[in-house]
Amino acid sequence: MDFLIQMIASGLSVGAVYALVGLGLNLTFWTTRVLNFGQGSVLMAGAMITAVLVARGCNVFLAVALSLVVSALILWVIEFVGVRPMLRIRGSMGWVVSTLGAGIFLQGSASWLFGTQAVAFPDVLFKSSDTIELLGAYISVQYIAVFVISVVIVGLMELFLRRSTWGYGVRAVAHDRELAALMGIPVRRVVVGSFLVSGLLAGAAGVLVAQVSGTVDPNFGLHLLILSFVATVVGGMGSAVGSLVGGLTLGVIEKLVGGYVSPAAAEMVAFVLLVAVLTIRPQGLFGKADTVKV
Amino acid sequence: MSKLVDLITNTWTLAVLCVVLALAAGFVETGTVQMWSFVAINILLAQSINLLTGITGQISLGHAGFFAIGAYASALLMKGAGLPLPVSVVVAAAISAGAGYLLSIPAGRVREFYLAMMSLAFGLIVYELAREWRGLTGGVMGVRGVPSAQIGTLSLFGWVLDSAWYFRILLLSLIGTMIAFRNFVKSHYGRAFYAVHVSEIAAGTLGVSQAATKRAAYALSGGIAGLAGGFYAHLVGYLTPESFGLMRSVEILVMSIVGGLGSLTGQVLGAIVFTYLPQRLQAFSDYQFMAYGLILIFVFTLLPNGLAGLLKTRTRYSKFDQLGGIGKASPAVALTQRHSDKAASHGPLIRVEQVTMEFSGLRALSGVSLDLQPSCITALVGPNGSGKSTLVNVISGLYKPTSGRILFKGKDIGGQPSHRIAAAGITRTFQDPRNVPSFTVRENILMGANRLYVHGPLAAALNTPHAKAEEREMLGRVEALMATAGLTHHAEDIIGDLPYGIQRLAEVARALASDPELLLLDEPAAGLSEHEAERLVQLIRMAADHGVAVLVIDHHMDFLARLVNDVVVFEAGEVIYRGDMDGMRSNQAVIEAYLGKEEVSHA
Amino acid sequence: MQFFKTKHNFLVLATAALIGAAPSAYAAETIRIGMTSALTGPYNEFGEGNRRAVELAVEQWNARGGINGKKIEIAMLLDDQLNPDRAVQNMRRILDDKSIVGIIGPAGSGPTLAVIDMVQADGRPYMNPIAQTPVITYPDGVGTKPRSNVFSFALQNDVESVAMGQFLAKKFKRIGVIHESTAYGVSGLEYLTASIEKNGGNKPVAVDSYNQGAQDMTAQVARLNRSGVDAIAAIGLGKDLAVLRRTMARLNVTAPLIASNGALGLPYQEGAGELTTGTLGTMIGAFSDPMGKATAAFAEAYKSKYGTDRWWGADPTRPQLFMAISVANGYDAANVLFEGIRRANSTDPKAIISAIESIRDLEGANTTYSFSPERHHGIETEAVKVFEYAREGDAVRLRPVAN
Repeated sequence: MDFLIQMIASGLSVGAVYALVGLGLNLTFWTTRVLNFGQGSVLMAGAMITAVLVARGCNVFLAVALSLVVSALILWVIEFVGVRPMLRIRGSMGWVVSTLGAGIFLQGSASWLFGTQAVAFPDVLFKSSDTIELLGAYISVQYIAVFVISVVIVGLMELFLRRSTWGYGVRAVAHDRELAALMGIPVRRVVVGSFLVSGLLAGAAGVLVAQVSGTVDPNFGLHLLILSFVATVVGGMGSAVGSLVGGLTLGVIEKLVGGYVSPAAAEMVAFVLLVAVLTIRPQGLFGKADTVKV
Repeated sequence: MSKLVDLITNTWTLAVLCVVLALAAGFVETGTVQMWSFVAINILLAQSINLLTGITGQISLGHAGFFAIGAYASALLMKGAGLPLPVSVVVAAAISAGAGYLLSIPAGRVREFYLAMMSLAFGLIVYELAREWRGLTGGVMGVRGVPSAQIGTLSLFGWVLDSAWYFRILLLSLIGTMIAFRNFVKSHYGRAFYAVHVSEIAAGTLGVSQAATKRAAYALSGGIAGLAGGFYAHLVGYLTPESFGLMRSVEILVMSIVGGLGSLTGQVLGAIVFTYLPQRLQAFSDYQFMAYGLILIFVFTLLPNGLAGLLKTRTRYSKFDQLGGIGKASPAVALTQRHSDKAASHGPLIRVEQVTMEFSGLRALSGVSLDLQPSCITALVGPNGSGKSTLVNVISGLYKPTSGRILFKGKDIGGQPSHRIAAAGITRTFQDPRNVPSFTVRENILMGANRLYVHGPLAAALNTPHAKAEEREMLGRVEALMATAGLTHHAEDIIGDLPYGIQRLAEVARALASDPELLLLDEPAAGLSEHEAERLVQLIRMAADHGVAVLVIDHHMDFLARLVNDVVVFEAGEVIYRGDMDGMRSNQAVIEAYLGKEEVSHA
Repeated sequence: MQFFKTKHNFLVLATAALIGAAPSAYAAETIRIGMTSALTGPYNEFGEGNRRAVELAVEQWNARGGINGKKIEIAMLLDDQLNPDRAVQNMRRILDDKSIVGIIGPAGSGPTLAVIDMVQADGRPYMNPIAQTPVITYPDGVGTKPRSNVFSFALQNDVESVAMGQFLAKKFKRIGVIHESTAYGVSGLEYLTASIEKNGGNKPVAVDSYNQGAQDMTAQVARLNRSGVDAIAAIGLGKDLAVLRRTMARLNVTAPLIASNGALGLPYQEGAGELTTGTLGTMIGAFSDPMGKATAAFAEAYKSKYGTDRWWGADPTRPQLFMAISVANGYDAANVLFEGIRRANSTDPKAIISAIESIRDLEGANTTYSFSPERHHGIETEAVKVFEYAREGDAVRLRPVAN
């Protein structure tokens, strides 16, 4: 029983991070119909910068804040350099390739700047040995903290999108870009804003994940990116609630399969789920089906 | 510049170059010959992804997966079953093609970035399988002791192959595959692949099944990549999953994009550059990750057509140049003469019976019935939104009617997929010309003839006499159509650069190239100049004279008046008039539909 | 023509020609060595360390007059970034150069396995500094005939696991093993299990694996814990071992962690932070106190040439244990190669190989080397020690554990 609880707890924790990353992906998708294939590397950058700054003696919270700022800026640059020029090209191939390139460039830069061996990640929230006992199982406080923080951020974002002016702007642009422009909504600013926030979310997610695993190295973003994609697809592209549900579902299934079957099978779960969802119900649980006018 | 490139890519020049390389292999250092072998393998890889991504438009971010399947398959077949080199490599290619076919089933149903994600997942699944399935692939330990030329453990029927001879065999296979491939791409199959890329819907109306085409593209692409994998395995002698990870997929993608998507020559250039660059430029290999990243970010902005675009070389998608023109065939006939005995009534060619079309509560067509006879040109008019295009869409198979039947030559075709309807002889055009912008006028019109071809893929690849004769015949039809449409002097121009009117005429000519029995034209005259409209009229009259039934949707009453004497008027999804033009002008219902009811005013 | 008429000018020209010619004549008389390693890229920790070691060895020999009067030259130093394809291309270039006398191999099992068959076919003496997979030296398994031209200076998996097994069998009853899913991990598990059983211990009660770079090992650790293990043995790289250690803490697993040599390096220490205390690891013991004479001499020479750099370690007064694996093995590899060439007094591969095989009790930085036609690896279990991280004041030090 305690084993099951441990698996579920870690699944919820990691799933919440998927949801957080998925939300960041959704944000840019809403405003530009672009999915940043380099988002995983931004996660890595956020975690890396925090780790390196702390190692050089910087205050932990200052380091986290700085890394969030840098993550946001990275997304801004990606929008300017990789996304905007590509929107002219019909179809998605242009920006898929350019955002993927951005991710790979970031990965290479991190290797070059920080060396390629893993860097230790400092304890920002509690210590890894802090545990609480729940129904006979020891659950790390860090897992719980990560879960709570992720869910809170997702909840805040959802609130923001529904209630704030900027949120209205995003939803308007998502619905119909030209119409929104005609209505006087500063589309450019909304778009840039969405990328900046997406960067913040990615940086935050990176810090949270790194906290749980303890080390950061340039490669760790890609795996998370794929899993977050799957979470977003399962939940439905374009739905914040969807990415939360999708993320938690994927996280728990992954850990359960990994615990009861094998770690190798856990790797497959995500991929099988992706293919299954895209084949059977491409719009996911909460998304809307795309129709094409002839 | 393009003349220079033409010279280099000329078959004879290439043949000489290959002979020189084959001979030189015996005299240069082993290391150099091995680099040449790596280049050859990379050319195969680049061509394979180009087929899928550049030509058919299906992005592939996990192409290393096919490469891996081919490599492991050939290695294990030779080690385990003792198959000789030619057999193991070919079987490996077949297995890889099978994997491509399987992938196409889910992948063919999704588009754009969903497809990109799926292809990424595919690449990673193969990588993970290679790492985890220790029983088959040796897991992370990899497969050791693969018979290989560079260790001297590879032999062909008792003859030990050294690096030089391995290169020669590889070169020969490369040449053979590429020649067949090039012929295939220039045939109607290649054009069909490209049609799916540009517009799946328009492709359907040419008789091209987008699902079948995608399956074929994936299978062929997988097969060629698998072939490359097989040769790779016996070149290096040791396989590890690390060789088939994301970086490999990225390398393949970079080679192809930088070389030039859609261009066969470009792939060769890309392969050469990216095989040698890491070796020659130490700085490049130090920062390889960053370099590939930067390349991918900027390539579409700086080099939209890749190196091939820089050299202004264009892959031709017809065999016109290969065959040296259409030859001395008898004067080409554009259309088959049908129903020449006009007197005899065969009944209507097409009968629409009480067709209703509803879209989630919106009723676009309401109990529409009409007949169309061969050799008759009928106009379909009505206010905007009255359901004219919808009717055409229903007949051509884009929509399945909610109720009612559509009988074509007596058989109900309602609800059949558009490519099957097109293949049966019903052709349509769209409100905006759906040409392939990067093809020439000739190539575009030739695409229309897709449904008429008889010869199969193998004949196309090998350029058999039958295939060549058929190609000449089709090209002849195209010449005749261009003559009637007044487009002959534009034959070699890229259609995307030409004015709208010419594009429209070309599209109609393309529709006629399919030798249809029923032709549906959706607002063909919109935007045409007086002169161009005249040409259009000639084309349509020619069709009718040859027995084709024509339905024309348009708003230009003058244009229609010259052309037809049979009009159907739609209003809110119903037929409100059928008869001649004069009758239409004075019909009360028609006037009301266009102008509204007259208000009766009370003094 | 006018110029040559003057005797003075002619002499000047002649002397210039002689001086100009001399170096080239001189260059033909060097001993040329080839090397490919991960000099840059994600894994250059080992490759760059090896390079420094080899260059130090070359410098020292040349200062003594070279090998039998001929200077040693690293004629080809190529970078493979631990990529097997690249290693194959590099090795091809090295082997194509027929003037190369001896080869130092790549910094890991992956690229080494890729090139080893081709190297064996070539026949020239090849020194493997790091790759731990025994199959590299003994293609049919440990205890069988080695490849004729391959000599290994690595801590072989079997040797390390035997040492670990010896230790575990005596102290623990319910051993759990977790390993990385690569060649290193899988073969390590096999040897460890065999060694435990041979030393009278019980078969491991639970076995699990993880992928290199895994972020989360909760499932694996939870399973091991469920089986009631009293010790967890781990085979993998330092960074992953750190994740393991943290997971163990999170799940409140109190059993001690005994790991392979990855646990004793900087990546583990950085990753596990405070949790390193109590971890045990196996490693070549050469750099622990007291250092042998040859080891100390090497450390001195390294410090003079390179200073207390990343490979030296954090403590300027003493080199870190890990140098044995990242630097000293390359040093010993180069030295044995040169010694072999010296004894053979020839560049003939077979002569050099026989000469190396005749080496007995040669003191190297990592251990005392004895080779024979049957034994082509240098490090044996005597050279391996078990170490423990222990608190000494407010510092954490590695202390050897009594067996």
